[in-house]
Amino acid sequence: MKNLMQVFMLSCRQASELVEKKLLVGLTLKEKIQLKVHTSVCKICTQYEIQSTKIDNLFKKHFSITAFEENLNKSGSNNNLKTKIINALNK
Amino acid sequence: MPVNKADITLWVEEYSDSMYNWTLTRVSDPLIAEDLVQETFLSAVNAIHTFKEESNPKTWLFSILKNKIADHYRKQFKLETVNESKLSGEKDTDFFSRYFLPDNHWKKEYDLEEWTMPENELLDNTEFIEVLEKCLKKLNKKSMLAIQYKYLDEKDGKIICQELGITPSNFWQLLHRAKIQLRDCLNSNWFNK
Repeated sequence: MKNLMQVFMLSCRQASELVEKKLLVGLTLKEKIQLKVHTSVCKICTQYEIQSTKIDNLFKKHFSITAFEENLNKSGSNNNLKTKIINALNK
Repeated sequence: MPVNKADITLWVEEYSDSMYNWTLTRVSDPLIAEDLVQETFLSAVNAIHTFKEESNPKTWLFSILKNKIADHYRKQFKLETVNESKLSGEKDTDFFSRYFLPDNHWKKEYDLEEWTMPENELLDNTEFIEVLEKCLKKLNKKSMLAIQYKYLDEKDGKIICQELGITPSNFWQLLHRAKIQLRDCLNSNWFNK
């Protein structure tokens, strides 16, 4: 007979999906508890949550336009583009 | 003194390079990048009455540019959604069976070691950025667009879903598949090579 806990426990697939839901829109109280219970006994999912969050933070900082503005590296001039735009503006 | 057309021409001289270079990292196609920058300046001319004198022109232009890029992603995402319904992509069951056992626990090879490098060190490392971008490109087009759209701006998750025309649950399921792949890719190509 299946352990009663196992009937209510999330699978790793479900737990990892909840991590993504959490990062996108947040979890209900029930889901928070379910996820906590699962990660407390599952080493892999604990690491998944940490690493998925880390990827999130990396993307946030890397893709955000504000981050780019702060690290402006002049990697070349596009003079054709400038001419094109100025001509379009003067139409 | 209000801003006039001559000033905008100066802005083109001063800012179009960095605007173009930024856009190129986010859309890869040089022609599309040029178009987006040009459209930004054309919009700027039409909206010049909304520009407050004490504002920073660069910030203002970049915020218009950001919206143009977002519009572009949204259009592409909707196109991909239509394309996807015509093709038969990998079934969910096939995808998940690569990573999970039949009882939906992780396969042993996905019991990964900790990633110890701190985020700021990673983002300053150009080699890492290359790996990050390479892993992103390995995803299917729809997932890649969704991710780029999501992180372009710091918007609420629900609003992002509305703008993309996708339900939140479909979105986090899409992100779920993408993250599993990204995690695997980053792990084997960087953290635990």
